[in-house]
Amino acid sequence: MGNGAWSDNTYRAASTFRRARGIDDFTYTSTLFSLPQAQWAADPALDPFGVGMRESRDSAEHPNSTPIAVLFDVTGSMGAFPRIMQAKLGQLHGLLQREGYLQDPQIMFGGIGDADTDRVPLQVGQFESDNRMDEQLRTIFLEGNGGGQKSESYELATYFIARHTVTDAWEKRGRKGYLFIVGDELNKPVLTAKKLRQVLGEPARGQVDVAELYREVQQRWDTYFILPNQSSYFTDRQVRGHWRALLGERLLLLEDPAAVCELIALTIGLNEGTIDLTGGLDDLRRIGSGHGATVRKALTGVGTGRRMIAPFDPGRDGRR
Amino acid sequence: MTAQRSQVPTGRHIFVVGLGFGDEGKGATVDSLCAAGGAAAVVRFNGGAQAAHNVVADGVHHTFAQFGSGTLAGVPTYLADRMLVEPIALAAEADELERKGVRDALSLVTVHPDALLTTPIHAAANRTREDLRGIARHGSCGRGIGETTWYDLAWQARARPGDVVQNLRSPGSAGEPPLRVRDCRNPTALRRKLDALQQFYRPLLALGGHGVPSVDAMASVYREFAAAVRIAGDEHLERLTRTGRLILEGAQGVLLDEWRGFHPYTTWSTTTPANARALLARIGQPSGYVLGVLRSYQTRHGAGPLPSEFDDRNGRLPEWHNGTGAYQGGWRVGHLDTVLLRYAIEACGGVDGLALTHLDRRGSGQFVAEYRYRGHAVRRLPLGPAQDLGQQSRLTAVLHGSAPVLEDLPRQADQLAALIGDLLRVRVVHTANGPDRKNRI
Repeated sequence: MGNGAWSDNTYRAASTFRRARGIDDFTYTSTLFSLPQAQWAADPALDPFGVGMRESRDSAEHPNSTPIAVLFDVTGSMGAFPRIMQAKLGQLHGLLQREGYLQDPQIMFGGIGDADTDRVPLQVGQFESDNRMDEQLRTIFLEGNGGGQKSESYELATYFIARHTVTDAWEKRGRKGYLFIVGDELNKPVLTAKKLRQVLGEPARGQVDVAELYREVQQRWDTYFILPNQSSYFTDRQVRGHWRALLGERLLLLEDPAAVCELIALTIGLNEGTIDLTGGLDDLRRIGSGHGATVRKALTGVGTGRRMIAPFDPGRDGRR
Repeated sequence: MTAQRSQVPTGRHIFVVGLGFGDEGKGATVDSLCAAGGAAAVVRFNGGAQAAHNVVADGVHHTFAQFGSGTLAGVPTYLADRMLVEPIALAAEADELERKGVRDALSLVTVHPDALLTTPIHAAANRTREDLRGIARHGSCGRGIGETTWYDLAWQARARPGDVVQNLRSPGSAGEPPLRVRDCRNPTALRRKLDALQQFYRPLLALGGHGVPSVDAMASVYREFAAAVRIAGDEHLERLTRTGRLILEGAQGVLLDEWRGFHPYTTWSTTTPANARALLARIGQPSGYVLGVLRSYQTRHGAGPLPSEFDDRNGRLPEWHNGTGAYQGGWRVGHLDTVLLRYAIEACGGVDGLALTHLDRRGSGQFVAEYRYRGHAVRRLPLGPAQDLGQQSRLTAVLHGSAPVLEDLPRQADQLAALIGDLLRVRVVHTANGPDRKNRI
């Protein structure tokens, strides 16, 4: 067998493995995988290095913006989630906006890897109100590696949200944003100054305590960790205990990964108090989603309707 | 034939081992055990992608190489630490299985992080060595399986260029430990080890025309492999035992065992149940039931002794699934050989039951009762001290110098099974009279 045949086999095998974790649609990733590793990097639009602040601002068209950050662990089999999300983005947007769960959502997507081993351990997009978020999602580089230490750099992503975002929702209205982290492992034990220098390019000021960081982020962000049944860690007591200690009832156990979009929508609706669980499940049925039972189970025990927003005004929302 | 139910015990873990030189029917036996239910996983514990275990189930035929032979029965595969994993071939096999209707084939596989990785570099080195041997070929599959094990030995010996390790000359300095599955998750180690391996083999590969992909391409595909396939150690296997029994599927035959086979016509692999026994002990499980698989006649691929060989050009024993591999050599058949079978059973440390296959093809009608060697009758080959290749070479010489003494086999399948049970002092508990799952009892 000559080199050509081997190369064909190698290429085909890589594509089989990519298909197995569901990322063949993500052309940025496919392109990068054909390059030497030394050239792997986040797309400039998603690179957190040297970013001062990611902004979520009101506009004439979206005067009541609420920021939603959805950050995916993209290591290993978790790389399937951006794709699931991408396929259902329209649905998420529809539920949030057309069903009036939330006014003027601005969604940001990002990818989380392992800062100990990955070339691209963190990617963060912009808060977008339109279909640019789809493009952002597809541009996430699904490096898919991870260090195999049962931990990923979630805390680095959380740090970015806590310290590198500014939102009109908070500054003008004192309203929190939403942070969803989709993952299946533990935080790294500490966030070191070295990582902050390497990944974010900011001057080091000592290490950051992880528990303290999650307390801090929750002051401005309603923070949820979605643990999907995508790996053996779904049933791992250490993983569950770790996130319960940090977020309490906001650890959401998702039995069917395909329902992640619906889960995010209903979580927001319930927290906003714009729906109750029954209403939300009715909405899911109406839009043809078969994931009601999974979502109900994931949301069992999660507090609802803690805050009310101004009554929804269909006239202004305008059914664009 | 009389339809007796399989008497393989339920509930216990089962080692399925071949009592010949491979091709005994292990795959179909494993499939049949899996189809009967109660299996949590099929565990591959030796060999690598060179395995060719044929299963025909409901009209679907697959030759299993790295996937366990329980795949068509829906049973997941665990590739244990002593398995040699070849990710590129694993992907190709997954594609093939999906074309045959197995959904998400790769999701059925879990791999031990310590398993050694077979790369295109090993395959090219293996083929180059065989080419250089010319007529004295060992009958290798040319897939780099032996080379994978050999590099591990060369590393342990810290071989320098020209050093001879286990009869093979070292082409370079073995400066890096061998690649393992766990390295696929660590880009730095992966790159370093691939570079070192390529460097090590460069002088040998320069002598042949066997190209290899670039280190970049290999590193990339191995990272994809680690991202797509579940990697988990003994604890995963231990968890599986809570949901059912393990079927431990041996690859190759006991008579090819690296230490118990007929040197030098052996494989670089432990083909006895020894590794599998150690594995069960390690996860605190009771030892399993050893099911020895044999055909109603003897077969062999490639070079090496086969005292009972006869010329079957007329095709009394047509072969369903075995061809001739360029590096492996031709397909050979012989009479059922009780001398070899007794030796194989002893080499396994005993066998609890026999699976007798190919009862539809017992065309030879005779079996080897004993050998004539220099005027003496030989019924039993002595099992020498452990790991004594000198002794194994002497056994090879005995086989080469022996003439088989033949006796007639009964025509009836049940009488045949009873006779084999008596001759080998192990009961036949499972029989097959055709390649399909439905031919199994």
